[in-house]
Amino acid sequence: MFTTRKQYKPYVSPFDPCPPIRCKTYVTAPNQYVGFQPPNLPQFPLHEAFKKGTLWKIFYDPYYGPYEVKFGDQQ
Amino acid sequence: MKQVPKEYYELLEQIQTVDFALVELTLYLDTHPADYQAIQQFNQLAQRRKHLKKQFESAYGPLQQFGNSYSNYPWNWNDAPWPWQI
Repeated sequence: MFTTRKQYKPYVSPFDPCPPIRCKTYVTAPNQYVGFQPPNLPQFPLHEAFKKGTLWKIFYDPYYGPYEVKFGDQQ
Repeated sequence: MKQVPKEYYELLEQIQTVDFALVELTLYLDTHPADYQAIQQFNQLAQRRKHLKKQFESAYGPLQQFGNSYSNYPWNWNDAPWPWQI
């Protein structure tokens, strides 16, 4: 399934004083996957758009921490 | 000090809502100048904005200065609440 959350495996030092986090994740913005915005995209109703910070549904991008939502659960 | 009524916030929120959509459409139209439907929506919202502004200002005083809003008598530009007091 497609998700805007990506992951990478950081280098782990043998002298790491803490238990290492082997897989880290980060979130990318949805507009990166659209290219040039096509016309007539579905819109939010205005009062919702104001709260969500975008008029167009595909650009709505709330942030959840990696431990808030199960990985890959977004959208 | 007198409190502003509930309608003040409702009306102001409506103005903010429309303003936000207008900003979004402005940015969109900068790159899509030939989108007829979007321009129609923009103009409709601009008209609604004008109407809301008039309604708000006639009830609670000017929103803008330097001739963009009318004043009552006496001069009521500096009446509370100021933007950061709302």
